[in-house]
Amino acid sequence: MKLSKLAFLALLIGTIFTSCESVDDAVEQEEPLQSYENGIFISGEGSTSVSGSVSFLSNDLSNLENEVYSNVNDELLGNYFQSIGFNGDLAYLVVDSGNIVIVNRSTFEKQEIISTGLVTPRYIAFSGNRGYVTNWGDPNIATDDFIAVINLNSNIVETIIPVDEGPEQVLAKDGKLYVSHKGGFNVNNKISVINVSDDTVNTIIVNDAPDEMIFDASGNLIVLSSGKNLFWEMPPVETEASITKINVSDNSILSNLVFPVGSHPSLMAYENGTIYYILNDELYGFQDIETTLPSTSLLSLDPTSTAPFMYGMSVKNDRLFVTDASFTGQSELLIYDLNLMIKIKTLDVALGASKIYFN
Amino acid sequence: MKKNSLLLLIIINSFCGLAQTTMTDSIQKLDVVTLSDVKLKKYNSGFKVSILNDSIINKSTSSLTRLLALNSNIYFKEFGSGMLSSPSFRGTNSSQTAVMWNGININSQLNGQTDFNNEIASNYSSIAIRSGGGSVQYGSGAIGGSVHLNNTLKFSNHFENNLRIAYGSFNTEKINYLLSTGNSKWTTSIGLSYLDSKNDYKFLGTDRRNENGAFNSVNLTANLGYFISENNILKLYHNSYTGNRNLPGTIASASREKYESDNLRSLLEWTYLSKNYNSKLKIAHLSETYRYFTNTDSNLFSFGKARSLIVKHDFDYTFSNVINVRSVLDYTNIKGIGSSFGSPKRDAFSATLILNHKVGDKLNYGFNIRKDYTTEFKSPLVLSADAKYDVSKKYTIKLNGSKNFRVPTFNDLYWQPGGNLDLKPETSYQGDLGQILDLRAATFTFNAYYIRTSNMIQWRPNDSGLWSPINVNNAESYGTELEFMAKHNFASHYFNFKANYSYTVSKDLDTGKQLVYVPFHKGNTTLTYNYKKVTAYYQHNIIGGVFTTEDNINSSFFSLDPYDVANLGFSYTFASNLDTNYSLGLEANNIYNKYYENVALRPMPNRNYQIQLTIKF
Repeated sequence: MKLSKLAFLALLIGTIFTSCESVDDAVEQEEPLQSYENGIFISGEGSTSVSGSVSFLSNDLSNLENEVYSNVNDELLGNYFQSIGFNGDLAYLVVDSGNIVIVNRSTFEKQEIISTGLVTPRYIAFSGNRGYVTNWGDPNIATDDFIAVINLNSNIVETIIPVDEGPEQVLAKDGKLYVSHKGGFNVNNKISVINVSDDTVNTIIVNDAPDEMIFDASGNLIVLSSGKNLFWEMPPVETEASITKINVSDNSILSNLVFPVGSHPSLMAYENGTIYYILNDELYGFQDIETTLPSTSLLSLDPTSTAPFMYGMSVKNDRLFVTDASFTGQSELLIYDLNLMIKIKTLDVALGASKIYFN
Repeated sequence: MKKNSLLLLIIINSFCGLAQTTMTDSIQKLDVVTLSDVKLKKYNSGFKVSILNDSIINKSTSSLTRLLALNSNIYFKEFGSGMLSSPSFRGTNSSQTAVMWNGININSQLNGQTDFNNEIASNYSSIAIRSGGGSVQYGSGAIGGSVHLNNTLKFSNHFENNLRIAYGSFNTEKINYLLSTGNSKWTTSIGLSYLDSKNDYKFLGTDRRNENGAFNSVNLTANLGYFISENNILKLYHNSYTGNRNLPGTIASASREKYESDNLRSLLEWTYLSKNYNSKLKIAHLSETYRYFTNTDSNLFSFGKARSLIVKHDFDYTFSNVINVRSVLDYTNIKGIGSSFGSPKRDAFSATLILNHKVGDKLNYGFNIRKDYTTEFKSPLVLSADAKYDVSKKYTIKLNGSKNFRVPTFNDLYWQPGGNLDLKPETSYQGDLGQILDLRAATFTFNAYYIRTSNMIQWRPNDSGLWSPINVNNAESYGTELEFMAKHNFASHYFNFKANYSYTVSKDLDTGKQLVYVPFHKGNTTLTYNYKKVTAYYQHNIIGGVFTTEDNINSSFFSLDPYDVANLGFSYTFASNLDTNYSLGLEANNIYNKYYENVALRPMPNRNYQIQLTIKF
């Protein structure tokens, strides 16, 4: 009796231990598409436990590949993948830990990695034979922020240009760099204009927290500042957001369209004379010649996630692409037709999906 | 009110209806004085309580993480070897396990959890694992279960020294010294531990190492007991820990971060013993400090600090040896200060009533009730009931049900930016059925449980991208646990086999998905063999796959593979004379040299060795 009971127990334990082998079915990796010329890249920041990754969507919206970099190169990109810059045949993947991974933009095969001279890098722009990377330095130190200047032949950081706290996005045009100083861990209110011939820096003051920048059809610089929004302070500290138009020939401010107090848009895109921005999950648009902000939205975004967080937007060929970022699972890419004002697709893309790039 | 009168009715009925048996005072006194686990057993008859005694604890110089991971059903998340280690008890999260140090809840006031890699197992005389909700007796966080770290004071004539020196792979050095001395009137024990490791193990299959992973710590424990008179005992417990850890990066990204922490705990306890009751007045002071550096080379850091002052009165009354009634009054004052949360304060008061009744030889049941009053939010009234029934000498059934809670931490409420002052405590209901089959040569314990937790606090990004905690999730966990122990010996050969297995389902009730980092399967076995002066053991640990993100995707990006890791140990004791003995131990861990990650992107050590010399004199 005793013995049979024991045997039963042993059998039971044995069965359970064996059964745990088969619980986790491996999901087949998607085969890499291997050709990424005609499509859209989405950069996914990742998190502490998930590596940053790149998603690719073909222009006809039919083929989606997640984790492109890992699929092609059989290695992880790194935690907190920040942005992509394109130059010639190459794409430069900027990773927060201090790396820029250079890949071929058609095949996504890794060419080289730049891993010295960068401290909390954010964005990259190109002028002549050089790449310019905004760096926060130590985010706790307000005075160590810089632009790293990379020689694109040697891929070495040759020199640095010290700049004000929290340099974020960077655009290059006609031998000048335009850097938005969102402020890093703090809040800043400057645009740096750097002459790449002698690395001199001029400063334009805008509203608090300038981030997204574009050049309009007339060549003016348009800056979206989301305003200070420290609602957890006692009392809360808030400043106004604005869209600032700057004449790049003399750095003068042509117009400054100020949002009502309490509005903090953070995403902006531009196509065919229309400036688009997102505010409280609504899409707004207005012509770049207009002198007032629109009072009604073009369409209400309808994210399906429980805690929507619009983290990136781009517009091309009257299609709006928006990332609804999740940091605890896959994010959603929402695609709208701006002629019909309807959603045409929702896709599961990289964790922490942010910027959208057209290759 | 209704519940209170019901309790009273039960007390009176039982008091009148039962024959009185007497037990000698002295035995009872000895129990109360020496065994802190007695209370744990007395008032938790319907709960599963596993006690690891000093023979298991002292087997190696390991951390509490390793000891419990290999000897219990608790699953641990370790952010790299030697780094932050947090428990998941029955599918619950890291702040839903209460850790009690000599009867005082020591979970951090800042993040609500205890780092099991900060505790040196060998500083304790016994470690008890109580499965199931226990908020009535152990307060906030006792949702999945509780872990009890106890120091036993030995009131007998003795003078004992234990020195242990170990050296292992990755430049790991451990020194451990324990002194215990005393007589029937007073006793003292002092322990000192030092741990230092370069921790630069190779990531198998790569050319990389665990860079920036070095750590060291010093741990001091000092305990004192004194019989003021025959009925009055004074006890003092102290533990201080100071640790420095570099925080290694992931396999994807390097890190230069560093984390320093200091924890101090002191407890003064005055016990008054009487024939039918004993009374304990406890005053405790706990303090925790951390300093976090984003760059090891920089002097810039952010910090957090909290200190708690606890006054606790514990009154334990026995009616006719079959009914025990206990009341506990607890006042706690907590103050914090930190770079990111200002200087919050909290006052908390709780009143608890606990009853246990023994009916005949077979039945034992208990009722518990507790109410907390806290300055910042409303805490729920919590209840618990349990029963144990001995069907036969070999077969016992245990049953319990309880309501439990976890309060928001200082981080949850005050962290800037993000802290949410509108948070409520998490509440949880649980039920647990246990069966024990004791066949002498083998013991088999089987438990099935259900836990439902509401208003779970979770940090999420809001629509402006700011991470903030909200009472958002409702979750349920259910599963089974098996414990199997067998002994066998012939001639001088002794075999001891122990196995734990758990099957755990832990679901987000809104999405139906398994919670992250809860393996469906976890099992461990240890086979120990002893022949005269030789002892050897083999351990095998199996962890099922886990999801690392909420959407439960089975891919290398979003889940971790199952793994199994085995260890082998061997020791030989040379006894030179009666008073002194030496033993030499060898340990090999991860003997099959397997690559595994316990937390995503953080590989654990490859095969490694340790040699250890223990001198008892």
